[in-house]
Amino acid sequence: MKSIKASTITMKTVIYIVCIFLSLLSIFPFWVMIMNATRSTYQIQQTSVALFPGKSLVNNWKILTGKSFNPWVGFVNSMIISTGTTICAVYFSSLTAYALVAYTWRLRNAFFSFIMAVLMIPAQVSGIGFYQFMYKIGWTNSLLPLILPAIAAPAMVFFMRQYLMATLSLDIVASARIDGSGEFRTFNQIILPIMKPAMATQAIFTFVGSWNNLFIPLILLTRQEKYTMPIMVSLLRGDIYKTEYGSVYLGLTLTVLPLFVIYFILSKYIIAGVALGALKE
Amino acid sequence: MAGPPLVPYHEGGTEEACLFLYPDHENLHDAKEVSVMKRTMRILLMMALVASLAVSLFAMGAGEAPKDTRKIINLWSFTDEVPKMVEKYKQLHPEFDYEVRTTIIATTDGAYQPALDQALAGGGDNAPDLYCAEAAFVLKYTQGDAAHFAAPYKSLGINVDAKLKEADIAPYTVDIGTNDAGDLVGLGYQATGGAFIYRRSIAKDVWGSDDPAFVTSKVGPGWDRFFAAAEDLARKGYAIVSGDGDIWHAVEGSSPQGWIVNDKLFIDPTREAFLDMSKMMLEKGYNNDTTDWTDAWFADMKDAGSKKVFGFFGPAWLINYVMAGNSGGSKPGEGTYGDWGVCEPPVGFFWGGTWVLANNQSPVKNGVGKLIEWITLDSSNTGLQYYWANGTLDGPGGTKDTVASGTVMKKSDGTLPFLGGQNMFDVFVPAGAFATGKNKTQYDETINIYWRDQVDNYANGMKTKAQAIADFKRVVADNLAIDI
Amino acid sequence: MARKGVSYAKWGYIFSIPFVVTFIIFSLYPTLYTVVIGFTDLRGLGKTTFKFLSDPFANFTAILANVTFKQSLANTAIIWTMNFIPQITLALLLTAWFTTRRFQVKAQGAFKVLIYMPNIITAATIAILFNALFGYPKGPVNDLLIRLGFLDAPSNFHLQKWTSKGVIAFIQFWMWYGNSMIVLIAGVLGIDVTLFEAAEIDGANATQIFFRITLPRLKTIVLYVLITSMIGGLQMFDIPRLYNLGRPDNATLTSSVFIYNQAFSGSYLYNRASAASMIVFLIIVVLSVALFFIMRDKDEVKARKLERQIKRRGGVA
Repeated sequence: MKSIKASTITMKTVIYIVCIFLSLLSIFPFWVMIMNATRSTYQIQQTSVALFPGKSLVNNWKILTGKSFNPWVGFVNSMIISTGTTICAVYFSSLTAYALVAYTWRLRNAFFSFIMAVLMIPAQVSGIGFYQFMYKIGWTNSLLPLILPAIAAPAMVFFMRQYLMATLSLDIVASARIDGSGEFRTFNQIILPIMKPAMATQAIFTFVGSWNNLFIPLILLTRQEKYTMPIMVSLLRGDIYKTEYGSVYLGLTLTVLPLFVIYFILSKYIIAGVALGALKE
Repeated sequence: MAGPPLVPYHEGGTEEACLFLYPDHENLHDAKEVSVMKRTMRILLMMALVASLAVSLFAMGAGEAPKDTRKIINLWSFTDEVPKMVEKYKQLHPEFDYEVRTTIIATTDGAYQPALDQALAGGGDNAPDLYCAEAAFVLKYTQGDAAHFAAPYKSLGINVDAKLKEADIAPYTVDIGTNDAGDLVGLGYQATGGAFIYRRSIAKDVWGSDDPAFVTSKVGPGWDRFFAAAEDLARKGYAIVSGDGDIWHAVEGSSPQGWIVNDKLFIDPTREAFLDMSKMMLEKGYNNDTTDWTDAWFADMKDAGSKKVFGFFGPAWLINYVMAGNSGGSKPGEGTYGDWGVCEPPVGFFWGGTWVLANNQSPVKNGVGKLIEWITLDSSNTGLQYYWANGTLDGPGGTKDTVASGTVMKKSDGTLPFLGGQNMFDVFVPAGAFATGKNKTQYDETINIYWRDQVDNYANGMKTKAQAIADFKRVVADNLAIDI
Repeated sequence: MARKGVSYAKWGYIFSIPFVVTFIIFSLYPTLYTVVIGFTDLRGLGKTTFKFLSDPFANFTAILANVTFKQSLANTAIIWTMNFIPQITLALLLTAWFTTRRFQVKAQGAFKVLIYMPNIITAATIAILFNALFGYPKGPVNDLLIRLGFLDAPSNFHLQKWTSKGVIAFIQFWMWYGNSMIVLIAGVLGIDVTLFEAAEIDGANATQIFFRITLPRLKTIVLYVLITSMIGGLQMFDIPRLYNLGRPDNATLTSSVFIYNQAFSGSYLYNRASAASMIVFLIIVVLSVALFFIMRDKDEVKARKLERQIKRRGGVA
């Protein structure tokens, strides 16, 4: 008895030490970023990494807003795009994954292989052709082409499928059918709740990825009122000798803040110590 | 991952997607996409342009710009410099009733050129009318693959020859801005001819005098004298420059030939000599072994490095935008502020600058022509050049800078407290004259990166010279498909 | 399965429609186009016509013979391995710690939140930060090592090949191990609680529970992490490019950066870039198939084989 307790305590000490170390390691760049947001460009050029704040916060803010950076507009646009992308991706990926797991149909395996193949296509291959295509059909300066393609998200379909394969029992589906529920209703009301942890985690990843996405929005959105937050931050960088580093870091900090909020909101699904499994006897 | 990389997958890059520029249009037929309306518009525009070009051909010399068919100008830039200039122009000329739509995409993420290229190729209402190109890639737009988009200045209603002479524009910027047919398609508003910026107190300590003419004779002309001066400085414990990057711009800019000669890679002997220069400086302690644009390089501007650094190579913007703020003070006496002087460099070079171009498919050439002329060729006291040189664009007390027009610089006041009261134009005007634009290629940005990488390896003893050169050639061939 | 003469199979097709339609609209044309370009002579900016090469595989052979390409593949493999092994080990370890009920790690929530955070920050910011961290001759790491006595003089980290590779591997590891951990934890949360309770009643200790119950049921999720990490890893782009552009001497050049350079560093060799993309794609496919094969559920395979035999014999065993 005693030895088990002792070993548990040493184990726990080890765990705490490691976790605290990792946490500090994780916070470090954010800390530097926030510190740099309060220092002037010249201070940053002299020492890029500092642990203590400077006095240039107000000045940096003035430069930021002076360069027609309207954080509110950027925030709204980024919010629309990221939320739309997340909802589309999560919902439709779950639907597609459900199709792959719950039903046996002839093309099922071929379709899955197809999705995997799409996943393996290097991102570069279709990225450019995509925006060039958008220019051709005149669909620039609109937020829709940044949201709709997320309906087809191979990585997420893959994840949801793996998750369903491990956690879904077809008995539930069968019993729902017996109860007279239509397939679509079964999916929405019974399956989706089971997938909450999977959906929450993927939602976070998608939201973050979409929020931070710079390149395609940069090329497709050329009117100022459509700019997203990362685009606005990139406006602060000019020629290498004219970049206002202090304001850039301030802009980056502002860009990251909403992500923290969303993350904290969704993270309770991951923190939950109780499994959200659906099979309770 | 298919589609735009919005949904991130584990570890891949989602932001900087690679780019394949598809050719625009009709060849790759997408029948429903190319709307009939668009096609008709394009044909009409073409006819209008041909007609107007025909008319202007008959007006000799000073071309008559075609009539503008709309009142919107699309301006593309990578900083807010040119947009701010345009705002000033509209203040000064309230009768200029065009609406200017600005698109700013920074170059630092490599996104500016692809977006610009796409917008130029795409044409239509959103195509740029007035666009900017930086020194690092301007050749592509004036003489290289994208040169066919640029409109000759004379087709914008500008009397090019007369104006060039009147404004006494530095020849190198004209060379860079002239296309293969001999027409001027782009000009820079800054003059970025380089000089040598040195510490007065160190000059006095080593040689007894800090007078610019005296220092000029000590550090040049030619590299032999420069390194002799380096030896003098080293004996007293000073480094002549901060890192090898500092002299690279001068070496590169002054070599007789560029990287491509007769469609093959060519290593000019003056550039090849840089390999040994770099190694020697390291071995003899002539520099602090820093890399430009890193913390340590900036620190050397205020004597925070291991050895005090005598000087930096650069154009006026280096003084005003980089060194002044990093000198550890903001008035004479604080840090190294006020302890600097500027003199002619051992060899002539230029570094950086922004060129402005017009789209030859633009329907607003008249308006664009007025803007371009005011920005680059107007040498009067209400031209941009004058405001820029004197730092009065946003009201008094702004940052001064050297401009392309020699006429303007001669009548402007370039004294800077940072330089101990010296008038920087006295040095930069001749410096501009002896810079050359004939040794540049559109591949320079990339080739220079590879070259300096190999030089670093050789100077630090990690390779032999033959190996470094061989690797350099191979990397250029592998990545750029240039014959070696 | 309810098979009262009603086949639900059609729902499989119906539910897959949104995915297929979206893919066709937004990705099919660009992807096919790139594939086609690999066989042509399209290079240079703004070209609109291209010809198919007389030797259709000329671009492919050129790429395969390209020394820099081969270097980039080797680098990608090395850096990925250096990144992934610590990553998956640590992620599994943390998952084990956090989901073992016996340990009751307090402030678990806070730890999980903090450990995931590096994933939120953009790659560009991190790359620049780390570049500055390892600055020479003055930089935080140099200063620290000198003060602690490990170095006498500053060391030029950016010129050292293995150090650079290591830094990039570290950055990738650091940015993604939290992500992996969360994915694994989500997978564990889906495992039926009663199994754990039963095992504890039977007297199993934490290690046994983890290896005998948790891990096997996590297999599908672990496969997901492996495959996506591999695919992502083979396309490592932001960090290598923004950290030091593939220097020193191409030591940190990865295949994606190589492809990008082919298309964008001045010569616009779109045909070669396409060919290289396709080669990388084939490599990914081969490796993924291998992974799937290794991690296959042997019981399921046997069951399917049996099913097929039954069908062949006419329905009844």
